[in-house]
Amino acid sequence: MAVEFSEKTKEKFKVVLGKYPEKDAALLPALWLAQKEFSVITPEVEEYVSKLLGVPLVRVREVLTFYTMYTAKSLGKYHLQLCTNIACTLLGAEDILGRIKNKLQIDVGETTPDKKFTLSTVECLGYCGTAPVIQVNDDFYENLTPKKVDELLGKLK
Amino acid sequence: MPTVTIDERQVTVDPGTSILEAAKKLGIFIPHYCYHPRLTIVDACRMCLVEVKGAPKLVTSCSNAVADNMVVFTDTPKVEEARQSVLEFLLINHPLDCPICDKSGECLLQNYYFCHSRKPSRFKENKVKKHKVVDLGPKIVLDSERCIVCTRCVRFCKEVAGEEILGIFNRADHSEIGVFPGKKLENNYQGNLADVCPVGALTARDFRFKCRSWFLCQIDTICPGCSNGCNAVVHFTLRNFNGLKGQRVFRLTPRENNDVNKVWLCDVGRWGYAFVDSIDRLTMPAMRKGEDFVKTDWNTALKETANRLKTLVERYGANAIGVIPSPHLTNEDLYALKCLFGCLLKIANIDFKVPGFDKGEDDKILLKADRHPNTKGAELLGLSGTGLSVEAMMDKVKAGEIKALYLAGSDPVKYMGEKAEEALSRAELVIFQGTNFNASCKLAHIVLPGATFVEKEGTFTNYQGRVQKVNKALEPLGEAMADWEIFTRLGQMLGVFPSYRSAEEVFMDIAREVAPFAGITYKKIGSQGIKLTLPEGPVLSEAKE
Amino acid sequence: MAEPILSRNFGKKDSHTLQVYVEGGGYEAMKKALKEMKPEQIIQEVDKSGLKGRGGAGFPVGKKWSFIPKESPKPKYLVINADEGEPGTFKDRQIMEQDPHAVVEGAIITCFAVGIHWAGIYVRGEYVKSIERLEGAIEEAYAKGYLGKNILETGFDLDIVVHRGAGAYICGEETALLESFEGKKGQPRKKPPFPAIVGLFQGPTVINNIESTASIPHIIKNGGEWWNNLGAPGIGGGVRLFSVSGHVKKPGVYELPMGIPLREIIYTHAGGIRGDKKLKAVIPGGSSAPVLKPEEIDVPMEFVSLAKIGSMAGSGAVIVMDEDTNLVQVLRVLLNFYAHESCGKCTPCREGTGWMAKIIERIEKGEGQSEDLDTIVSIANGIRTRTLCPLGDAAIGPAISFVTKFRQEFEDYIKRH
Repeated sequence: MAVEFSEKTKEKFKVVLGKYPEKDAALLPALWLAQKEFSVITPEVEEYVSKLLGVPLVRVREVLTFYTMYTAKSLGKYHLQLCTNIACTLLGAEDILGRIKNKLQIDVGETTPDKKFTLSTVECLGYCGTAPVIQVNDDFYENLTPKKVDELLGKLK
Repeated sequence: MPTVTIDERQVTVDPGTSILEAAKKLGIFIPHYCYHPRLTIVDACRMCLVEVKGAPKLVTSCSNAVADNMVVFTDTPKVEEARQSVLEFLLINHPLDCPICDKSGECLLQNYYFCHSRKPSRFKENKVKKHKVVDLGPKIVLDSERCIVCTRCVRFCKEVAGEEILGIFNRADHSEIGVFPGKKLENNYQGNLADVCPVGALTARDFRFKCRSWFLCQIDTICPGCSNGCNAVVHFTLRNFNGLKGQRVFRLTPRENNDVNKVWLCDVGRWGYAFVDSIDRLTMPAMRKGEDFVKTDWNTALKETANRLKTLVERYGANAIGVIPSPHLTNEDLYALKCLFGCLLKIANIDFKVPGFDKGEDDKILLKADRHPNTKGAELLGLSGTGLSVEAMMDKVKAGEIKALYLAGSDPVKYMGEKAEEALSRAELVIFQGTNFNASCKLAHIVLPGATFVEKEGTFTNYQGRVQKVNKALEPLGEAMADWEIFTRLGQMLGVFPSYRSAEEVFMDIAREVAPFAGITYKKIGSQGIKLTLPEGPVLSEAKE
Repeated sequence: MAEPILSRNFGKKDSHTLQVYVEGGGYEAMKKALKEMKPEQIIQEVDKSGLKGRGGAGFPVGKKWSFIPKESPKPKYLVINADEGEPGTFKDRQIMEQDPHAVVEGAIITCFAVGIHWAGIYVRGEYVKSIERLEGAIEEAYAKGYLGKNILETGFDLDIVVHRGAGAYICGEETALLESFEGKKGQPRKKPPFPAIVGLFQGPTVINNIESTASIPHIIKNGGEWWNNLGAPGIGGGVRLFSVSGHVKKPGVYELPMGIPLREIIYTHAGGIRGDKKLKAVIPGGSSAPVLKPEEIDVPMEFVSLAKIGSMAGSGAVIVMDEDTNLVQVLRVLLNFYAHESCGKCTPCREGTGWMAKIIERIEKGEGQSEDLDTIVSIANGIRTRTLCPLGDAAIGPAISFVTKFRQEFEDYIKRH
């Protein structure tokens, strides 16, 4: 089946397109919409977005591989993104990382066999005042402690 | 106009000229990778840093324009240190496999390292692994580990070849050139990628592993692939290794000519040289004996040719002979041909315009529809329109009115198919003079081996009317001979004919006799060619007796 | 403590709404600017305020605006940089989440002053809530007639768009941000031309930080001189938001005068070191700012004074490290960060950051030698001032300062492991 936006997303895309003085500028927003709609930006999705915007395919690939937040591979239901930058590390992020790895029996970049969790480490998320922090999909959990992590993982079903 | 002092020498340049270009005017070379005079500036490699008096830090000479009274130093210890540092950075993740790298000997990483650094590596870590032997299509191969991410290739494809197909994926030291999975390069200018790539990342399949660059000699030439006349350099070897399998010419690379081809060559032209060393080259004169050709020597072949032509003219008149030259031949070849057939034998039926000869595809960049380098020259020398057209000649052969056809490099069967085949089969005498065996040659009675464009001196006149020089890189293969020389020898057998000893002597006559060429000499043509002042309308200049 | 200005709405219920913002005197500055002031007057006030860019580089904002040509064949643009990615910095997020209308109002005034009709706010992709709040505020402003056509019947038009980044620290660099805005990967452009002349979509472009933009309404409302006087005596430049993190008792965002001594931030406002331990090191302006030793913390927190002692005010992010901190680990984290975030365009940064990161990782693993420390410094010197954009210099800030200022600790670590 050919990849295509739903009618609702097409509508959203039209609005986005109308906001920019130049069409190419809508590439990042278009990829966001695509990621939301398809979860994974596959090569087929890239081709779709490329055609939609009239942007060369290679540029779509460049953008996709340059930015860290677009996903070209499928993730677990919960994407655990633990900040391991300086403020979080100072307050024990690496211990928390060890805890998560141990608990889920996966390494960074891996997904649990039940496809529930994918573990990533990320750069500074801008929550240094409440470090350590973990981003789970679009939610942030601050002031982490090993105990809180255990609770969090238990809570995520 | 700003005047700038570079390494204590002054130069005045146009406003906006970069420091690097201004230095070049003084003969001062500033090493660089990402900079390319024909591509946009990206300021990325940082190899061209120089010291500017008063500037707090070193500046990139490719992207900074000179200012009036600017004082620049390109060889201070500070600059040298920066170059060494950039080289060290470029080399840490670069495989040290020069001995098996095809670019070795002409690699800018290698060259600059030996010129500016020669320091042992301090890198103790693991190198970044990238893709090797990436298939970019039938023409070009990519080795990402050797890439220094200068992006010349990316810019070339986008800006010159009109194909935004190469990109840089990922970032930081994992940045890697590539195409979208499954895509291949499709443009007609890919050969230039191997040229613009300063290192061994992009190599042409045609040249890869065939010959080390240091075994190659170079000489200026003109690409014979079409009427554009792109300036080129032919790379050839005089050695005869077993491994070379008889190959003498290994590649054509572009040579700068702003008015013709900038600094590029198209793939059709670049890789059209294979006929030079091809197995079907004609290396000996030959004569038909029944179904077979029997090799012979020049004296026998030329005597036979002269005698038979003479007999035919005597018996049936000059109109019983048709001459079909090829616009692949040089001006000198064609002029000698004209002297022989037109002036000496008074043959009027000379026409180079084989139907369809100029109906290739025009790519709107360099490649022209007419795939012959000297059509304009043939026109200016009056090798069409004096008598019957090629088409009419074929008809007359069929009708028995034309008894003999002299094919000088031309291959009517290729363009006209059966019609030519039939005519050639019927003709009493077909003489084929050319470089390679082909469908027309197959039907000849006498075969005279000609020299290719790299085996003779001469000139081509491109579609704009620019006369440009080809040079002799190699001796003609086997017994082959320059076409003008063949005509000269025939002419001398048939009557009073100039005793040309060189193409240049022929050209001096052209300059004397053919109006648009008046006053031109080989010296004036030089390496960049010279544009003729063309008269209005069609030119049918007559070579005088 | 003085009345908060930039953070006056922080912590208030529904502070992100137009209603609460207006109750606190919001949009008055906009009215004043559009109805009572000429664009030149606005620029003059901002000039007088001594406001320097709060993103990190600290370039005077008024001056930046004045670089924009009055007449331009191409449209002019305002780009607001909310790609807050400098490790340790989280103050712009507070503004966007808690006081988004301040950004909108600041943007309207900026655009009116410079003659701009299209503004884009580039927010880092991770700041989901910030984006929501900004979009909400923009919607409210449109509804109220503060955005769109003929604002306040002055004939002035303005559209604002929120553009979501996608995870790349480099996009905080202004020209990389422009590339990203245009739908490309965020690789810095060569300069010149500067964005003020050739910026977004080739048009002249003002690029201001979120905090800088949110400061504008206050400057217009109360005057440039008033703002300038909010800074420490003899220093001026107003107040700024300091993000304090690490081993302090009360991490958070603090609004304090420019030029306040670092010691005061750490010990008075952030409550001192956790567990009353000793201070070992502090980064004063985001991770790119060279680290300071305890004996250096009396420095006034402003651009010139910090530059004088070889560090920088940067984004105003103070990262505090106590006596138990493993500096080898800290440096490894930082160098990995820069190696990961290098855009890959220019050689020294692309190759040098990765090399330094690999060395410090090896040292941390216990496979280092003393000479590796010299190599790090020498690599850093090879990057210094030679990269296309400031990321290279940002990366060597920590590299050189940690290794040279705490050489003994690194040597000891190597000996012990």
